[in-house]
Amino acid sequence: MSDHEGQSSTSFALHCFINGEEQTLETTAATRMLNLIRDELELTGTKRSCDIGRCGACMVLMDGIAVNACLTMAYQCAGKSITTIEGIAKNGIDPIQQAFLEEGGFQCGYCTPGMIVSVKALLESNPEPSDDEIAEALSGNICRCTGYGGIWRAVKSAIKMRGSNR
Amino acid sequence: MLLNRVNSGGRWRIRPDGIGKVTGSLTYLTDMTAGSMLYGLVLRSEYPHASVISIQTDKAEKLPGVHAVLTYRDVPGLNAFGIAHPDQPVLCEDRVRYVGDALATVAAESIVIAQQALELIEVEYEVLGVLDDPERALHADAPLLHPKGNAMHRTTFTRGNVDEAFKQCAYIAEEIYYTPRQMHTYMETEGGLFVPEADGRLTVYSPTQHGFMDRMQLARILSVPQDHIRIISSPIGGSFGGKDELNVQPYGALLATKTGRAIKMHNSRQESVRAGLKRHPMRISMKTGVDEAGQLIAHRVSILADTGPYSTLGAEVLNFATEHVIGPYKYEHLDVEGISVFTNNGMSGEFRGFGGNQAIFALEGQMDRLAEQLGLSPWAFRKLNMRQSDDLGPFDQPIAMTEGAELVWSAIENSRLWQEQVRMKDRSAPKHSEPWIKTGIGAALTMHGAGLGVGIPDPAGGRLELAADGKIEAVFGYEEFGQGLLAALEQMLVEQFGFGASDIRMVIGDTDVVPDSGSTTASRATAMMWKSLQRMRKPFTDQLLKQASTILRCHPGELRIWEGGISLITEAQLLLTYEDLAKQTDVPIRSETSFSFPVSDTKRVGAHFMYTYSAVVVKVELNSLTGRVKVVEQQHAVAAGPVINPQGYLGQIEGGSSMALGFTLLEDAVMDKGHYMTRNLDTYLVPTIVDQQGIVEVEPIEHLPASDDYGPRGIGEVGSVTLAPAIAAAVRQASGKWVTKLPIDPAFLQEKPFFLTGE
Ligand code: FES
Ligand code: FES
Repeated sequence: MSDHEGQSSTSFALHCFINGEEQTLETTAATRMLNLIRDELELTGTKRSCDIGRCGACMVLMDGIAVNACLTMAYQCAGKSITTIEGIAKNGIDPIQQAFLEEGGFQCGYCTPGMIVSVKALLESNPEPSDDEIAEALSGNICRCTGYGGIWRAVKSAIKMRGSNR
Repeated sequence: MLLNRVNSGGRWRIRPDGIGKVTGSLTYLTDMTAGSMLYGLVLRSEYPHASVISIQTDKAEKLPGVHAVLTYRDVPGLNAFGIAHPDQPVLCEDRVRYVGDALATVAAESIVIAQQALELIEVEYEVLGVLDDPERALHADAPLLHPKGNAMHRTTFTRGNVDEAFKQCAYIAEEIYYTPRQMHTYMETEGGLFVPEADGRLTVYSPTQHGFMDRMQLARILSVPQDHIRIISSPIGGSFGGKDELNVQPYGALLATKTGRAIKMHNSRQESVRAGLKRHPMRISMKTGVDEAGQLIAHRVSILADTGPYSTLGAEVLNFATEHVIGPYKYEHLDVEGISVFTNNGMSGEFRGFGGNQAIFALEGQMDRLAEQLGLSPWAFRKLNMRQSDDLGPFDQPIAMTEGAELVWSAIENSRLWQEQVRMKDRSAPKHSEPWIKTGIGAALTMHGAGLGVGIPDPAGGRLELAADGKIEAVFGYEEFGQGLLAALEQMLVEQFGFGASDIRMVIGDTDVVPDSGSTTASRATAMMWKSLQRMRKPFTDQLLKQASTILRCHPGELRIWEGGISLITEAQLLLTYEDLAKQTDVPIRSETSFSFPVSDTKRVGAHFMYTYSAVVVKVELNSLTGRVKVVEQQHAVAAGPVINPQGYLGQIEGGSSMALGFTLLEDAVMDKGHYMTRNLDTYLVPTIVDQQGIVEVEPIEHLPASDDYGPRGIGEVGSVTLAPAIAAAVRQASGKWVTKLPIDPAFLQEKPFFLTGE
């Protein structure tokens, strides 16, 4: 639910892949991906917090790149492959998720899906990032609970786990 | 020993709510939907202060898709809420006192229609002058925001005669400290689902920190019996005190009752900022004097708090601040006064630390200033004046005595960072490779009260039960907002009883099934669960063993609780699963307890009995060109009794101190003439991972006197209260400047670079 919806009501058929499944959604070109995901597809693992791209709670992967679902409109998703947090654990829990569990990289958990999506995007493109690269990649993901201590530990441990799984 | 995964060994556990959180499968209450639901929105005041001449809703009502437009005329019961003093209108009738005041609420078939409906509501205002300065609100000619005047609450505490005592002082520190309007910034904004049930009852799925309090308040507003309402309140995407008071619940409840349809509400961030609680901005004046030897003699404090338009727990926050400006030190002469003032600014209210954050920043600042005047080490100066374990509390009240203050003091005295500070004093510290980077180390100390204090009902309790399906059910009226309550409860049941984690079902946050265990606030829930379990352990396990012994035809003394079921004492062998026990016994196996949070034997309202002690030392790097402060290392010592859940404990201190970092360096919900200038997370800045690249170490001190049976103290808040003064002390060392106002303004610390000054 945002304050800026429904400007354009011309209908638009969106073809895309969501968590690996081909989808056609009747929507409008300007509908935000966040609403499609949460309201239409009822994939509520993707969270809503600021609506303006500043918190990262709504992060999803678009062709492997982390994007803010609250800033992405339906037409921008055409033909793309979108992965939400639900898609990340599709074939069993991801080592990143396992690392967050073991290290306590979450408390209330509301930032966690978005955080994990951002870590996933980072490690897929850069399996051994430096601290500065980690900080930069996660600087758009706010966590109010943990103070990031558990998140640092989780990311470091995920890097190790993925390294030894390879 | 530092708290971390390695040192915790097998006690470091994966949280029971973890899987749902890392996979996104956990349904938060704002994720919920219902088949034929409507969307609810609230119309809030355009002005910080105005008379309301009229509210016309007919155009909005006629909009297709709109099912209800409600105003004050539609509130069947008490048109007000507020935990302590219900003085905040649910829907304003003739006056608005802040920009978050609600005038109407609508339910519509889509959020877009609901928004259009809000725009069609015509409100005629007569704009009134804005009281945005608490000092001016106290002037005799200031308009009164409430019939009893603009002073919402006053406190005093005196001992001896400070005026005379100041004459004896060799050194006096006098300063005025200012603290910001900090926002909780829970990532999940307020909201929920409100469902009218077929039997006429109402189910409210909405986060809160005390379900029974919400139930009572909503029943009062709807004018229905309390048992007509069921509150389901967990899981919660963060609260930090901010969801303690009602927020969207009255509107959702009214709309659901009116339309007979489920109502979904979920605040936008802007609305959350506009209507929600913040930390009280305070101006704290202090004058503190010592004798030649450095002994504190006199301490005078005056607190001015901006409580905003309505009370909520503003009075209790001021009581808390009044106690904590005295803190862990001894003074012969004391004169403290506090006043919390109504203004047309945003709502101030309950927030992690509860007035301690502001008080401790000021008090510890005084200690550093006096030590410097005396030429003493600030840490030695504190030791000289610190309470002893058998001293009374700040209000001269009896307290649970521990050596906490001394233990955290020693931990910091011996810490690597403090030793480094001592060496820096000797000027032997290496110079930074970039000469405009200045380093400094500072430390601070505190005692922080837990529980609601004297004069406020503070119930506690819970229930254990062997359910029909063989699960050990632990039922508590507490809430999980991320702090790890469920993890702590599970860990206690495993470690103290011997159950396996999979034997247990924890039930919380549902007023239909849980006992009233009191609020999940004031760092009290883990301590109260611990105490409850202590009280229930014997009766409950006795019943389990007795029934098992009947079935197994043996003596209960031969049996013990085991993972999965009952085993022999002599041999770890499962004889009877809990499931079989539940099936085969016809006697209910159940234990329930209720008691009160321990309070001090004093009449002083708000005085505490249990305290957590903490001290922290930090190292900062100040970039004198930009004026930015980076906290590169933190070492915390926390004396709070036994560590129940190591991961949760560490997380509370790390998370609390991050919030304190924001309070010190970044955060302020800026207002101008009663309007928020910072409306979302683009201008309201909280720490990101970039601000948290430094080292944070936590040393828990578990020692309690042998006679102490109060168990773990709270740790939910204490991490957030001691960091600010430690950073301020470090900044003093780095810059030579005393910080008096938070968040620290970089411009204040910026210096002309040496290549411009020609030095
Ligand atoms: S909700 Fe998209 S970034 Fe905050
Ligand atoms: S875990 Fe609560 S915001 Fe990150």
